[in-house]
Amino acid sequence: MDQLPNLGREQEMLSIMGLNSIEDLFSIIPDDVRRTEPLPLPSPQSEEEIWRDAQHLLGSNIDLDSRPSFLSAGLARNFVPTMVGMLATRGEFLTSYTPYQAEVSQGMLQAMWEFQTMISELVGLPISNVSMYDASTSAAEAITCAVRVHNKKAIQKATIYVSELVPPHRMSVIENYVQGAGIDIQILKHQKNGCLDTDLASIAKGSCAVYVEQPNSLGILDEGLLKLKEMIGENTALIVGVDAVSLGIVSPPGEWGADIVVGEGQPFGIGPTFGGPIYGIFACSEKYIRQMPGRIVGQTHDTNEKLAFTLTLSTREQHIRRHRATSNICSNETLIALMGAMHMSLLGPGGITLLSKRVAASTEATKRALNSIKGVELAYPNSYNFRDFVIKLPGNSGDAVTFMDSQGVMAGLPLGEWWGDMSSCLLIGCDERTSESDISSLVSAIEEWIKEVDL
Amino acid sequence: MSDIFAFNGASNAGWSQPKPILSNSEITNTVPDSMLRSEPPAWPRASEPELVRHYTWLSRRNFGIDTGFYPLGSCTMKHNPRVNERIVNLPGIDRMHPLQPEHQIQGILSIFYEMQEMLAVCSGMDQVTLQPVAGAQGEFTAMRCIQEYHRERGESHRNKVIVPDSAHGTNPASASMCGYEIIEIPSGEDGRIDLHALQSVVGDDTAAMMITNPSTLGIFEPEIAQASHIVHSAGGQMYYDGANFNAIIGKTDPGLMGFDAVHYNLHKTFSQPHGGGGPGSGPIGVKSHLAKYLPSPLASRRKSNDSDPKGVGDGFWYIWKSPEKTIGKVQQWHGNAGAIVRCWAFYRRYGKELERMSEHAVLNANYLRYKIMNPDPEIVSKMHAMPLDGAPTDFVMHEFTLSMIQFKDKVGITGKDIAKRLLDYGVMAPTLYFPMIVPECLMIEPTETESKEVLDQFAKDFLTILTEDPEIVITAPHTTDVGRVDEVWAARNLILRHSGNSTIQN
Repeated sequence: MDQLPNLGREQEMLSIMGLNSIEDLFSIIPDDVRRTEPLPLPSPQSEEEIWRDAQHLLGSNIDLDSRPSFLSAGLARNFVPTMVGMLATRGEFLTSYTPYQAEVSQGMLQAMWEFQTMISELVGLPISNVSMYDASTSAAEAITCAVRVHNKKAIQKATIYVSELVPPHRMSVIENYVQGAGIDIQILKHQKNGCLDTDLASIAKGSCAVYVEQPNSLGILDEGLLKLKEMIGENTALIVGVDAVSLGIVSPPGEWGADIVVGEGQPFGIGPTFGGPIYGIFACSEKYIRQMPGRIVGQTHDTNEKLAFTLTLSTREQHIRRHRATSNICSNETLIALMGAMHMSLLGPGGITLLSKRVAASTEATKRALNSIKGVELAYPNSYNFRDFVIKLPGNSGDAVTFMDSQGVMAGLPLGEWWGDMSSCLLIGCDERTSESDISSLVSAIEEWIKEVDL
Repeated sequence: MSDIFAFNGASNAGWSQPKPILSNSEITNTVPDSMLRSEPPAWPRASEPELVRHYTWLSRRNFGIDTGFYPLGSCTMKHNPRVNERIVNLPGIDRMHPLQPEHQIQGILSIFYEMQEMLAVCSGMDQVTLQPVAGAQGEFTAMRCIQEYHRERGESHRNKVIVPDSAHGTNPASASMCGYEIIEIPSGEDGRIDLHALQSVVGDDTAAMMITNPSTLGIFEPEIAQASHIVHSAGGQMYYDGANFNAIIGKTDPGLMGFDAVHYNLHKTFSQPHGGGGPGSGPIGVKSHLAKYLPSPLASRRKSNDSDPKGVGDGFWYIWKSPEKTIGKVQQWHGNAGAIVRCWAFYRRYGKELERMSEHAVLNANYLRYKIMNPDPEIVSKMHAMPLDGAPTDFVMHEFTLSMIQFKDKVGITGKDIAKRLLDYGVMAPTLYFPMIVPECLMIEPTETESKEVLDQFAKDFLTILTEDPEIVITAPHTTDVGRVDEVWAARNLILRHSGNSTIQN
């Protein structure tokens, strides 16, 4: 209640208007839709009480930093430079909105234009928007965008192909987003080694788009994807979902034929935050620019020829094009993208390479350590992995995770939760902060569990 | 001009990191040779001191609520209490993973549950999901639920969604993404819904009507219950766009008005800083017949029992639950949890007094409208013309629209010119040219967090502009970081990235 500057001054304001009561202002609401009872809610609290309750409730959660954790599965247990939070929460950034008035929004516009540049550099494509909601909505809207561009010439009309290893929550988002456009989703099979079966992939030729991930959801870097664009041809969009951090050492999809690159931006800028707010990366080549979703900033000048920035290509958007818009997106994740830009610019070319190497090293070291445990097998022993990899356990991986949880280790994601036939598999996620001591805690916990199941 | 690509600090390693836990050659072997990146991305090469100054410089070229009055209609730019930002830095939200087991997330689940219940109570709905991350995604999610509802009843032929011509652009865009055909109906002379027009378009192909109340003109639709009746009688569903929910909490609710589904813009009605365009949060609430289609999972709870580990101490054990016929996911995790927590902290500040918030939002809007529409005779004598009401009404709700058409006709000053001139007075411009049914429209929403003095000053400045030499207004702004920006040039030339250290051609 301390947020209302005119509290206690209602009568003064009403009398200027010649009114007696605030209720006069609501007199237009007919009786049959008027609320008669007060809201059945608790009394207002002070800041101090709210802080106390927040500390109590959020303090009862167990956070990833409080113990060795190998739970990743699409979000990163990262370290965000202190500068990011401090600068991004400057009120001028924090409390602004969509920069419709460019003349007083040059700061955010320039920051987003720089963000577009950094994403473009990272993925190897010329155009980036200023963010989607998350990796999944980016993937889904990349597909609908590609269909709009390619359907006219497509032989397989309104048809797209998706890797069978796209995780179920992302598939579900994709299905919800594409069903309205009448798009038929076909599945591309993977081989036993976890890589896409490229012998079968040419069936996608003549369709509107192919969506694959590099690394895939099991963390596998798939060399076969480098040939994919050649196999599907110019008239089928190659959409690649990436782990943004991997691109410090892994070649950017723009260099091997990707037309649209999407992915999770979260590792740059913000903690996992229970899954949001995070931001989706969306980058593409020129061909897609007039059909792409989301906002984009362009360079221009003012009436005195002074350099300036402004939102551009707005005629694609819902506030102008309404039901013919390329997307319904309005509010996006700009602030989180700003945090991402700050993080990326602090890293610089040397820093992203090092960050990427740190994740790669943690992944490899953890993999080696687990591979040496008797009873544990690597599910894809010959694969190259980044961040995530899969082990096979002598029993149900959900039970194993519960046991290790009681030992104070977050051991990863039981893959039975995603795919029923993988109930003995465990998805281990590593990051730049994975330490040798985290790895030995995980090894001990697994050994301990194996002893238990042996009994 | 601070150019981030012109820095050259700290030889490209401005921010130190620990070393990898394996040697360089071991790392190189983790990537197939053909897949190794040849050149790192040409990102800025700057040190922390240089970047702190760069971003501080940028921030000073940006206008937020913290800078000054921000009457951007329909966007509800209210003050954001700062404790909210402190709370979301707690590790119990910032360092949490959405796939953690229930016993590790009792606190956040209890906040989700409390928010679902509170939103249901305020809107007269039966079940709420917090998953959609923006208002537009909420609209889309609700329309998907409605679509499944019709399909399950064997009524897939219902393929049309009705929207008034004053609707937010997201309404038709969201319905269209679900595959619906859009029927736009004209507003009546008074800017309100035209029941005859509605009656003439409903039929057995009607899937739903999407409408906001108060409308985008800032006026309440007193015939809303009749509109609901017309749509329901034809077998359609009523969808409430909650963008203007700030106006009505505690006074009426969408349930009473006959709606079946509603989205909330938590970032508007409650509090999540708008951050230059987002993040938002767009939960939806539905009546019980639609609840089984909601996205999965929902926060739920049962009474604690002795075998449960320690919970939050309120006698309940919190769990995730999947609705029976869920449409699945619209966001890949559980929504913008950080925004949910901020809004929880905001809501706790008002509790059962949320009604006061709406009262003050409406009081401020009416007061500002009164001050603008009733100037002193001395000012009137100098004004080129009078602004016109966007719609005839005694009182508005939380916002109001003005038509500046008389200025355009008489002295060639457009609504846009006035908006740009306002920037010179140190305030943000109102929403421009929306709704489209009002010629030369300015849409003004002061919110409840502005003082009487701020409103008085805005009215005074606004009226002063209407007396100024048209040349000054038409060429405005004059005092901002840059003058009027050439948007046409931007769209023709499409320079969408820095050429900087680039290896890629635009």
